[in-house]
Amino acid sequence: MARLPHAAGARLAFLWEGRVVEARAGDTVAAALYAAGHRMLTRSRKFHRPRGLSGVFVADHLARVDGRPNVRLDDELVREGHDVRAQNVWPDLDRDLLRLARLIPRRWLRAGFEHTRLIPSGTPLFERWEAMLRFLAGVAERPPADQRIPAMAGRRIAADVVVVGGGPSGRRAAAEAAGQGASVVLVSRGTPPGAFARAGGAALPDLPESVTVLAEHEAFGLYRDGRLVGAAPRDGGAATAIDAGCVVLAVGRRSCPPLVPGADLPGVLDLHTALALAHDHGVAPGGAVAVIGTGDVEAVARRFAALSVGVGAVLETGRTTRILGNHAVAGIEADGRVLACDAVVHAGPWRTDPALGFQAATGGALRLIAQAGRGNVTVVGSAAEAPEPVVWGGHLDDAALVCPCMDVTVAEVRALAAAGEAHVEVIKRLTGCGMGACQGFPCWDQLGAALAALTGRAVDDRPTFRPPRGALTLAQAAGLAEVVGPEP
Amino acid sequence: MPRKVAVAIVGGGYHGLSLAFNLADRGVRDILVLDAGYFQGGASGRNGALVRGGFSSVEWTRFFGHSLNLWIGLSRKLGHNVMFTRRGYAIVAETDRSAAMVERALKVHAAEGLRSVGLDRAGVRRVLPAIDADRVKAAIHFANGGTAPHHAAMKAYLAACRERGVTVRYGTQVTAIERTGGRASAVWAAGQRIDADAVAVAAGAHNPDVARLAGVELDGAGMRIEAIAVAPMRRTIDPGIALIDRATYLHQTGRGEIVGGCEIAGEKPRMSLASDMPVMAHTARHLATMFPSLGAARVLRQWAGQVHVSSDFGPLLGQHPDLRDLWLSAGWLYGVAGAPASGDLLAKAIVTGVIDDRMAPFAVDRRRRNRPIVEESTVNLEH
Ligand SMILES: Cc1cc2nc3c(=O)[nH]c(=O)nc-3n(C[C@H](O)[C@H](O)[C@H](O)COP(=O)(O)OP(=O)(O)OC[C@H]3O[C@@H](n4cnc5c(N)ncnc54)[C@H](O)[C@@H]3O)c2cc1C
Repeated sequence: MARLPHAAGARLAFLWEGRVVEARAGDTVAAALYAAGHRMLTRSRKFHRPRGLSGVFVADHLARVDGRPNVRLDDELVREGHDVRAQNVWPDLDRDLLRLARLIPRRWLRAGFEHTRLIPSGTPLFERWEAMLRFLAGVAERPPADQRIPAMAGRRIAADVVVVGGGPSGRRAAAEAAGQGASVVLVSRGTPPGAFARAGGAALPDLPESVTVLAEHEAFGLYRDGRLVGAAPRDGGAATAIDAGCVVLAVGRRSCPPLVPGADLPGVLDLHTALALAHDHGVAPGGAVAVIGTGDVEAVARRFAALSVGVGAVLETGRTTRILGNHAVAGIEADGRVLACDAVVHAGPWRTDPALGFQAATGGALRLIAQAGRGNVTVVGSAAEAPEPVVWGGHLDDAALVCPCMDVTVAEVRALAAAGEAHVEVIKRLTGCGMGACQGFPCWDQLGAALAALTGRAVDDRPTFRPPRGALTLAQAAGLAEVVGPEP
Repeated sequence: MPRKVAVAIVGGGYHGLSLAFNLADRGVRDILVLDAGYFQGGASGRNGALVRGGFSSVEWTRFFGHSLNLWIGLSRKLGHNVMFTRRGYAIVAETDRSAAMVERALKVHAAEGLRSVGLDRAGVRRVLPAIDADRVKAAIHFANGGTAPHHAAMKAYLAACRERGVTVRYGTQVTAIERTGGRASAVWAAGQRIDADAVAVAAGAHNPDVARLAGVELDGAGMRIEAIAVAPMRRTIDPGIALIDRATYLHQTGRGEIVGGCEIAGEKPRMSLASDMPVMAHTARHLATMFPSLGAARVLRQWAGQVHVSSDFGPLLGQHPDLRDLWLSAGWLYGVAGAPASGDLLAKAIVTGVIDDRMAPFAVDRRRRNRPIVEESTVNLEH
């Protein structure tokens, strides 16, 4: 696929599945592969469905880079000569014979491979059978035995105010606190902070010099009611523990795909990811993009047009009944009609990832639940707005995936609900929903919505959102052992 | 909710369900299990899943050796797949002191007829190819040990209980235990009184509180322990492992995740399900040190569970010395490994009145009688 006119960066080359792919300096591996037309990056855990960069579900863009398994291709910058290989396929991505797993009756694959009745433990065959299940479930080859990654010495800093998020509201909160004389640390995934707003064409308030910025960092956890914040750089460097007087969460919202069959196909992107591709990397999400959304969808379409991206269709997310395609998006079905397109960008429903706020404000000895007045955390900006409901057009389709990382279908949830199982924590344990690398967002929202539709009762409940979110390697975490002691 | 039962069991974790199953299997009818939380909400749904039969003491080795044998036959017994896999279990010693303990433990295993071998250097490389063998001074390998994933094993126990007519209710807290004439006679739950011929407490970390409902004290305290899971990869570590000098345990799950946890110095016992940074960081450090190729692997999640720890770290099993018909399956730090045996032997005691020799040393009042059991091969810093 051709680059957009504004694409820049020196040309370089790397290997994908043994073939040479051209990239531009500054590309993430995910962007470079997308630009080169390689949409499918891996296959899913149980059903070996094609998966590619989505921006929503982390498991769909994990690959092996120079021998390191489970590398997030949206974080990894391309380097000349990089050797990138697909995971969870055998012998390779195109010929993947493991997809024969699809022939296994789905009933047997409920809850992954771990509930099989076929061969009970204690029988002579079981150990061999289990070894095979381990192979199927293991997803990634292990790292080479001679790989040595030393612990990265951690560091500890303190601030009156820790702001998470470098967008407009995070910047405003940081500037305001700094203006009142507070010491402020701002943690942002972006380089520089505010990447999404910038890609969307918005102006960003300035950050005062006195604010310490941890750019390209992920706040991975809020501990001790939010008085201890963990942050780690996405490049594997040293992690930081921050003693926080208080925490301001300005994490924005993310768009959730419609809960319909095909929403996991390569080429279905959330707005953040699609804008980053188009704006930051000069890569068109598609030749004819269907833009779906909940708010001013036309404005989103105009933004893409301004970036020279061809938009084929514009509609409300809630009208979508199915996304069509074999290995990548080929069309979208809405209102009983099929519209041809080669990518779908969703801009809503918008929901806030509740993980960090949840970690800081919960307690309980039988179950972690939100406790009023707990946690020194304020949520600002769009993250504080009420979540928009998860949507699907028509009826709730059994083939839709509630949790794409673990391949949990609506059918599985329906079967459990019919058996009287309506507790989200129990369903999580019985299906594995939310146990993948995204750690529950947005799949627990999708689970809640599906369960509510199936039982006719409101489900506001979510399983425990656990740290660490996103990037934190063992080597990074190990470095924190020296700097953080037990809570007094 | 029944008004009168033969046995009311407080807690629907491994120990409550194992007891209920074994009572039913012995022909007891009218068994009620009440659990305040949700299914697998206690430690039984938040653990490291490791199962071994051998320890350093005769008492532990006899009890847990029995339990291991029961684990091996458990799928057949329950009629559901518990997915107990015999991938082996290794105790790894890195210091002279723990290497000496390993030697002593091997003698105990030999005397008790438990299958275990000491690993030489070649053995370490064969059984644990990913470990930094230079750090290993001595190791024990139990070919029969392994792991029991709770999502399968707990599900199997619950299904087997229900099939045998046991009433199991989650989301139902026991709020009072009545005593009449020096015996436990009823429990209260959901605003209702349920008469019981016997009450059994298997409330995990909450055991001391529940015992107090009956007006009796229990040795030990509830406390948090934490664990982490590392992003999935294919077969890297076969056996369950105790890194004895690091107070660390780990295994690789059927899903390919490496799950482990450790104890750290200076951590005060606290009841909390919220996880903290230090245990995660130390576990990561121990994993990355002993398995140096894993440094770039990502921590997928961390979590906390709560257990009841007795003063000698051993289970408290049997009738409470101060209250007749109040039975306990408490103090479980190795409660996955011990679940089949605790249900088996406690049910035998309740039904027949016979206290099995393998259970007797773990009597509830052993602290009071100054008869603690010295067990050195558990993953604790106190040694
Ligand atoms: C992180 C971690 C790792 C572990 N690793 C291992 C391991 O590798 N190997 C091993 O053998 N063991 C391990 N354990 C220990 C093991 O999980 C426990 O010993 C075991 O699960 C205890 O089972 P239980 O039935 O006694 O308690 P639980 O499973 O905690 O069940 C107790 C139940 O009682 C209920 N309850 C409490 N109060 C009341 C009340 N008033 N009324 C009604 N119900 C009540 C609770 O809701 C709970 O469900 C680990 C534990 C943790 C937390």
